[in-house]
Amino acid sequence: MNVSLDIDPWSAARLALQAAFFLTLFLLVKQLFDLRDAARLKHLSRPKGAFRTPMTGLMALFGAVLLYQATWQLTGLYRPQFVAFMQSHDRREFNPAHWIQRGRLLDRRGEVLAESLEREGRVQRHYPDGPVFAPVVGYTHPRFGASGMEAVVSRQLDGGDPNSLKDLGELGRRILGGDKRPRGRDVVLTIDAELQRLAVERLGARRGAVVMLDPRDGAVRVLASVPAHDPNRIDAELFSGSDPATPLLNRATQGLYPPGSTFKIAVAALALERGFNGTLACPGDGFTTASHYRKIRDHEYYSARRTGHVWEGYGRLGLERALAVSSNVFFAQLGVLQGHDAFQELTERLGFNGQILLHQSTYGRFAMRTGHWPALAANDQYGLAQAAIGQGRLLVSPAYMALLTGALANQGVAVRPRLIATARPEVLARFMHPDVANRLAAMLRRVVTEGTARAIDIPELAIAGKTGTAENPQGDAHSWFVGFAPAERPALAVAVLVEHGGYGSATAAPIARDLLQRAHALGLMPSASKP
Amino acid sequence: MKPRQRPDMNTHPFVQAWSRRWPERRLLWLSVLGIGIGFGMMLGSGYAEGRAFALTDPLPWTLYAGTLVVLHLTLVSVHFQGDQILIGALAFLAGFGLLAQVRLGTFDVANPLDPGLYLVPAGIVLMLLVAIGLSHGRYARLTEGHWLWVWAAGSLVLVAVVLLFGQRYRGAVYGVGLVTPTELLKVTVVVFLAGFIDRHAKRLANWGKGFPLPPMRHLWPLLLFCLGLSALLLTQRDLGMVVILSVALLVMLFFGTGRTAYLVLGGVLAALAGALLLTVFSHGQRRLAAWLDPFQDPTGNSWQILQGLSGMYSGGLWGEGFGAGNPEYTPIAQSDFIYAVIGEELGFVGAVLLVLVFLVLFGRGLTIADQTRQGFGRLLCLGLTTELATQTLLNLGGVTKSIPLTGVTLPFISHGGSSLMTSFVMLGLILAVSDGMPARRRTPKPPRPPSD
Repeated sequence: MNVSLDIDPWSAARLALQAAFFLTLFLLVKQLFDLRDAARLKHLSRPKGAFRTPMTGLMALFGAVLLYQATWQLTGLYRPQFVAFMQSHDRREFNPAHWIQRGRLLDRRGEVLAESLEREGRVQRHYPDGPVFAPVVGYTHPRFGASGMEAVVSRQLDGGDPNSLKDLGELGRRILGGDKRPRGRDVVLTIDAELQRLAVERLGARRGAVVMLDPRDGAVRVLASVPAHDPNRIDAELFSGSDPATPLLNRATQGLYPPGSTFKIAVAALALERGFNGTLACPGDGFTTASHYRKIRDHEYYSARRTGHVWEGYGRLGLERALAVSSNVFFAQLGVLQGHDAFQELTERLGFNGQILLHQSTYGRFAMRTGHWPALAANDQYGLAQAAIGQGRLLVSPAYMALLTGALANQGVAVRPRLIATARPEVLARFMHPDVANRLAAMLRRVVTEGTARAIDIPELAIAGKTGTAENPQGDAHSWFVGFAPAERPALAVAVLVEHGGYGSATAAPIARDLLQRAHALGLMPSASKP
Repeated sequence: MKPRQRPDMNTHPFVQAWSRRWPERRLLWLSVLGIGIGFGMMLGSGYAEGRAFALTDPLPWTLYAGTLVVLHLTLVSVHFQGDQILIGALAFLAGFGLLAQVRLGTFDVANPLDPGLYLVPAGIVLMLLVAIGLSHGRYARLTEGHWLWVWAAGSLVLVAVVLLFGQRYRGAVYGVGLVTPTELLKVTVVVFLAGFIDRHAKRLANWGKGFPLPPMRHLWPLLLFCLGLSALLLTQRDLGMVVILSVALLVMLFFGTGRTAYLVLGGVLAALAGALLLTVFSHGQRRLAAWLDPFQDPTGNSWQILQGLSGMYSGGLWGEGFGAGNPEYTPIAQSDFIYAVIGEELGFVGAVLLVLVFLVLFGRGLTIADQTRQGFGRLLCLGLTTELATQTLLNLGGVTKSIPLTGVTLPFISHGGSSLMTSFVMLGLILAVSDGMPARRRTPKPPRPPSD
């Protein structure tokens, strides 16, 4: 015990008095037991012991109450909601809840994303990078509660779940010593701080999201959403919903956007699985399912028209070439060709209209939305054509596009994205057949070497991917890029979305390239083998 | 241990009685000493915070010590043979209650005329009067002849009158000035039940053969009384009292007749009634919700219980020291939630020691019942002990969130005049039983010893 020299006489006297009080009380209890013999009720009949069982039951009941009481009084630390209640609603200065040094949240290499600092006797949470990690880390606030990983792993951060003999020993020492400064445990995330910072920096003043993960084990390296709130400054204003930038919305996991051309990889997978092996005629003035609908055309048609020319069209296209040039005319036809039932089956297999849990505890859940797909009327061919090029009523979240791309890179197997370094990888579902996935992966590599994304090709990274330019009714098109690298043995999958960013090749793809380049420099992925 | 002093035929009877009651004396000394140290801690904390010393500060403790001296001398001088351990345990609990109340500022210590200061001494005196008045087997007269039905009728009338003229406060009905006269039921009902079950023990034990049905022909007066009383009490929303009395009834029926079937049947009925009540009473549902998930509405329904638990968490193992806590953050701590304050200031260790004293008290109550052969006294003692134990368990369980809150007080510790006085009367009755029957009743051979 730490005895300071400026201890006032009353404190010492109080300790002595309390010890004396306990001693007397203990003596009294002991005497109450010991004197039973001396104070036998001899004038009454001899005892029969008729009430021995009820007395034992009574003692058991009181014992149970005391035991339960101990779970609050001595080990209340392991009830995070209780600790949170005390931190916000208890005004007793000596309440240990005010002294808890909540554990730190660390990135995969031990960089601090959230830590507790002591200031004037109270412990405050500090987020060194402000809003950068807010979409993952969330916030914790005495009045507004907690969100993100701060909520989900609250139990570990507060020091709960003693899972080793050493921890139990520590707990016992704390209880006996009356330690008023409990310390929580650190939690290591899969996030790479440097990559996340780069992603936020490259998104800059625009709104958007970046998700990067390891397709083999689901480890999420980047989960960026811009703009985000600053967890160091939480106030009521934030929750009023008046800010048009919606800093509380996690665009990466909860934002829904039309996927544009990036969704063509799913349609391609569907066609390949159903044995499509031919070519389709792609006339220059486009394709439609009925004359009263606006024709679906390729980008080249519009650029030609702008300069006063007439575009001839691609002629007959095979799947690989169509992906490389991202032909809307081709995929709209391809989608219609597969039919409603096959498309519906595809969206169900890919887990549309749902949530995927990244991590869950009794204190919160970290989940991501997949996509939104309302079932079409059976005769709505045009709707199907639109959906096949990622437009119309089809919506996806950026995290989902990263998961889908990752599944493609991982021979069709989707692994549950995870944020905790020690969490076990878990197979979520098989999104596509391994052969199909391998053939598609090769095709996506061609998109980067000779297709729409050729501007970002770096041979030693061997990026494979797909650009997307998603038209939306609110203004300029959203810019997308999804991809993975290296193409032959993918180690990272990435999805980049920039709201109103224009062409995917111009805005989103370079961000993805920079991230993959940095990841390569950080040793997160191997170099591509020389061809 | 002190050598046993043999009562000598030549010594004065008072000296004999004096030497016989030495265990009680030692326990009382320890209580006075312990409570004195507690007062020292509490007053010291006050002075450390800058409160001025007042002449009246030690008054509650002096009164308490004085009352115990009077108690002991009276018991010795009337040659009281009743239990000494029980008195020791009670003396400590009563003193502890007084200390806790003064600590919580329930009384105006600076004003020597505050009646609150005299509650515990008055209770001890009341207990003494009951114990002596009904000692020597006189307690058996409580149930003689029609007196039995007076207790039953009195109980019903008491509740009905409170219901008619009482005032509603926090969802329950109280008598004038927020006194709760229904507390007296704990005595009157048990006296009636003990008398009734004792009279009809044989018939009530006759469950017949084959299909097990209770002997309704003999049970109906009891059932009628219980239904009527329960209905009246539930109208008052005094669920805690219903639970306490029901448990006492079942325990007395079981031990009075030796029929386990009563416990089984009672358990089933209690479960049914509990389920039914929950659907009828909204405040019961609220309490149940606050118990099951206190964090659903932490600043509303669960505020009191969570503040109490927070206080206990602050107290930890050893506590902050008596007088050093912040019980003012626990709402209405001095009545229902006093146990939370004890947990906060004396820690888990203090709470365990207190529970041990309570267990000694109940254990002694059961021992006395065990050693009493007179049926009524045995059942009375058993019933009263059961009530005290149930009440304590309900209170402790509620405060620690082991069970839903029922809003009953902690015997001898909680503030509340009627509840405190009733507890003292109950203990007085148990003490009277422990004094035993006069020798002539136990050995009927010589009707009256000839005086020479």
